[in-house]
Amino acid sequence: MPGEEDGALTVPAATAAAEDAALLAGTAAGDRTAFERFVARHEAAVLRYVRGLVDDADRAEDVLQERFIAAWRGAAGFRGGAAARGWLLSIARHAAQRHRRRRAGEPATHLPLEELARQAGFSQPAAPDLARAFEARELVERGFRALSPEEREVLILRELEGFSGEETAALLGLSLAAMKSRLHRARLRFLGVLRGEIDAHA
Amino acid sequence: MRMPDRLVAGLRCAEVLEALPDYLEHALPPQGAQQVEAHLRGCDWCERFGGEYAGGVAALRRMLAEPPAPPAAVRTRLRERLAALPPPTPRNG
Repeated sequence: MPGEEDGALTVPAATAAAEDAALLAGTAAGDRTAFERFVARHEAAVLRYVRGLVDDADRAEDVLQERFIAAWRGAAGFRGGAAARGWLLSIARHAAQRHRRRRAGEPATHLPLEELARQAGFSQPAAPDLARAFEARELVERGFRALSPEEREVLILRELEGFSGEETAALLGLSLAAMKSRLHRARLRFLGVLRGEIDAHA
Repeated sequence: MRMPDRLVAGLRCAEVLEALPDYLEHALPPQGAQQVEAHLRGCDWCERFGGEYAGGVAALRRMLAEPPAPPAAVRTRLRERLAALPPPTPRNG
């Protein structure tokens, strides 16, 4: 049954949030060691998020650096209680958007839901290799990279960073319903891309 | 191609498609969840597709759970830039 799927997410623990708050308090006081530890805790997640939004590796690196420079300067403005990861990512998002160019030929993400679902395999013949594709990291990553920045972003926040629906909606500046719709469509697109990969290599 | 749209357990396939995310996150009210379950039991199209959808979500979560470490050169350049920054100015007020 699909409903048996384990929905457990890696939710940032309260202790991690408290440690981040302590590191940022140290940073605000000019403690470079505290800041170094803060950077080490989050740089991989920030870079992944930015790379989801900005295709060019050099631009993404610029955004990563700007983001942590802003964190160093703005540590005193961090409100304890909010997740530091969310704080970092929300500001990284603004920086990435400044860098992002609207690409011509954006994927057709505004197809009707039923058409997206059809491409994802709804009402289509079974794809016997799909279960194996789910196990192949390289295929999953390729499918993920084939999505639009908008689609990757919601998947990163919700599936990979484990933010709640409400937190993800707030980070994206969307209503909960609009976020859910975007997430649903992004998942369908991901399935559609994977099926396309399987067909292409069949 | 037209999407198949069976009516099973009082729900159409298109409605199940819309409800799938909430169903998988156990976010539907009990009655709604039971209805979706009954549809899935009676509709092989939706049962298969629901399984693929859940499998895709699980694959994303599992295979990309840990962000890859940034390349060493990126980490080095980041640290060089940060080390050169003047101390943060205390916040006023």
